[in-house]
Amino acid sequence: MSKPWSLSRRFVAATAVTLTIVWAGVSQEFPHAATNNDADAGTWQMIVLTGPTQFTVAPPAAVSSLDYQAELASIKSAQSRLTNDQRKAIEYWSKGGVLRWNEILLELVARADLPPAPNPDGTYPVPDANNPFADPQFPFGNPPYAARAYSYVMVAQYEALKVAWYYKYLYNRPSPSKVDGGVQALIPSSDLPAYPSEDAVMSGVNAEILKLLFPAFVEEITLKAGEQRTAALLSGKATASDIAAGVALGRAVAPVFTARAAGDGMGAAGGSPALWQSLADAAVARGEIPWKSMDIPPRPPMLPLFSRVRGWMMTPDDFVKERPGPPPTTSSGLMAKELAEVRQSVDHLSRAQLAIVYKWADGASTPTPPGHWNFIAAPYISAAQISEVRAARVLALVDMALHDAGVGCWDAKYFYFNPRPSQLDPGLKSPIAVPNFPSYTSGHSTFSAAGAAVLSYLFPTGASYFDAQKEEAAISRLYGGIHYRSDIEVGKDHGKRIGDYTVRFAQLDGADRPLR
Amino acid sequence: MKIFTAFLFCTALAAPLRAQTVDDGIMIARHSLFTGAVYSHERWDQYWEGALKRVNGNIGTMTTQTNSWFANYGVTNRLNVMATIPYVWTRPSQGVLTGMGGLQDVTLAGKFRLLETRTATHGSLRAIAVASAGLPLTNYTPDLQPLSIGLASKRVSGRLTLNYQSNPGWFLNGSTAYTWRRHVTLDRPYYFTDDQFFLTDEVTMPGVADYVASAGYMKGGLMTALSFSQQHTQGGGDIRRQDVPFVSNRMNFSKVGGMVMYPLPKLQYLALQLAYAYTIDGRNVGQATTFTTSVLYRYCLDGRPTP
Repeated sequence: MSKPWSLSRRFVAATAVTLTIVWAGVSQEFPHAATNNDADAGTWQMIVLTGPTQFTVAPPAAVSSLDYQAELASIKSAQSRLTNDQRKAIEYWSKGGVLRWNEILLELVARADLPPAPNPDGTYPVPDANNPFADPQFPFGNPPYAARAYSYVMVAQYEALKVAWYYKYLYNRPSPSKVDGGVQALIPSSDLPAYPSEDAVMSGVNAEILKLLFPAFVEEITLKAGEQRTAALLSGKATASDIAAGVALGRAVAPVFTARAAGDGMGAAGGSPALWQSLADAAVARGEIPWKSMDIPPRPPMLPLFSRVRGWMMTPDDFVKERPGPPPTTSSGLMAKELAEVRQSVDHLSRAQLAIVYKWADGASTPTPPGHWNFIAAPYISAAQISEVRAARVLALVDMALHDAGVGCWDAKYFYFNPRPSQLDPGLKSPIAVPNFPSYTSGHSTFSAAGAAVLSYLFPTGASYFDAQKEEAAISRLYGGIHYRSDIEVGKDHGKRIGDYTVRFAQLDGADRPLR
Repeated sequence: MKIFTAFLFCTALAAPLRAQTVDDGIMIARHSLFTGAVYSHERWDQYWEGALKRVNGNIGTMTTQTNSWFANYGVTNRLNVMATIPYVWTRPSQGVLTGMGGLQDVTLAGKFRLLETRTATHGSLRAIAVASAGLPLTNYTPDLQPLSIGLASKRVSGRLTLNYQSNPGWFLNGSTAYTWRRHVTLDRPYYFTDDQFFLTDEVTMPGVADYVASAGYMKGGLMTALSFSQQHTQGGGDIRRQDVPFVSNRMNFSKVGGMVMYPLPKLQYLALQLAYAYTIDGRNVGQATTFTTSVLYRYCLDGRPTP
């Protein structure tokens, strides 16, 4: 029965090498210790699933059963000969599975966030999901791809954990260290029922979805998932049967989300040469200067049909309804004035302004702006000492809003197809690469306003900080010479309206106050 | 006026002007002072992305120019101290990225002659040790490679040089150094390099080993040399495919070069130097061609003849 976990244990050492996020200059993380287990989380409103009983989790064996007693004995035996690598794995995962998976996700996005290199003939290859290890690697973890990826993993995890919580409190099987004093609790124990194991649920559902989203990293993902289960067992949090039930549940939930992802429109988001041309033609027909790529050689626009990708909290009609009005026309005096402001700013940048540009650059090889907002959320989750299911809720809500912000922003960008400042003023040079998609509206501003709206609702004491971060992220794009002021101001307003869709859901999902 | 007479005295009696760098075998005499201006012009249009040599339309041809002030003072005949302060500016020939410019890092070095043997028949053999330190003078960003003006890292180096000078004027020089570099702080809270994601703004900078071998001729005021040099960074990641370079990349190169230096005929306290270097192989660096011109000026503070 414990066979899969002994296999995982062997992998612990390898994992420490292959996928290690390095925290330098950061003090030791506090072990995750929730002050409230959220016993009612099984009743919180679902987003995609119909309810917890959509999945069956068989009742566990009694704690007095021989099978269960054998499981306890095997934990005690393993605990008596822990290796250093196993202790490290326990310590690593003691920060909390939700936060760790979020970090892993940030790393995977940063790893994948590289655009294809041009072919010798000046064209660009397209990353191929069926050939992920090739050059270019699949995926190109650009901001829209990243926003969607964060949201799928975090929403699926949250939904799976709500199901797990339902069964935990249905069966109420305590954690091994509560049943048997001989089992040590190597991370702070709680009264949270152990069956099915929340760590195993996360490892099961997250690994399945990550393998779809980041197929080139299947080995690292699998190792991390195995390490999480091993750590849960060795730390005295869960027995082999708690873990087996958890991983089975996680793997059962995953296909709901991988199926949704397969049909959400992402596969067609790249468009076609005919579509790219039609976007330019439409701008010309409106009397506007159409956007063109500032890359050399010119690169096809980034995911023009991401605007049609399915949202979480918004319907296609909602996206159209919330679409901002047009930018200043490219021939207008107002546009000339805004362009002059960008030029003036970028030509007279202070060192402090340049630092803001780089803090928020979030270009190639980074977790992208949506990842930056996950990064901002993480310390608030840590400090709040909330349950795993509530931590998962925070990130699911934030990442749904960020995804919807991405869809909404891309809708505006390709609806208006507005040129970047350096296209209208060839003398304008930037301290960061110019993103390869239209200017209006600013993605940073839209993402940041949506993220700040949700985080401010969830952590009201941080609201002024989130607002300041949003303002800084937004203006960094003007300092960087890549956005006009109207891109930024309209983007912030648009992002806030999009974020409020998620806030309205959160107000009624049963987590902040009981349903009814 | 007093200084002026000192110059005259000095020019009459002192040894000829010679190039002086941290890695050559030349020592200057006690209480003599050399100062100079160095202009260098470096260009490349291809670079190594890891091991892959490529062009990049978003940079085109990359030009880095440097104006440096240089000084070398003979504390004793065995100990010289040197300082260099460069002003650097960069420019890509195409694309939307901006060039940068500014005062880069001051380098201070102490050059100590460990031993010297001279024979009437075979010339002289010298061993020289150099300790040096580099310190960024301004808060420039290292996060726009290759357009940043430098790596913004504090550093210390230890160097050992062996120099053989034959009586007819031929010389051989070999020098090696190791440089320890302090971490660099970025303006951003995370970065990805060397196949790892780092949730910190601090970048550990790997150490750097370098080797220089040169051979040439030095007689009277004239000096000419050919050189081969290598830099091996002791760690750091490669630039990934189509990624931007990063401050802690494993930047390696092999260069060949030549230099010639001669004193101006009627102004013997002034000397001109021309140098050329070409990168024949590299990793995470541009394939640079570098031209350097220097003007060296000699003071002689107390008029003592140099040995």
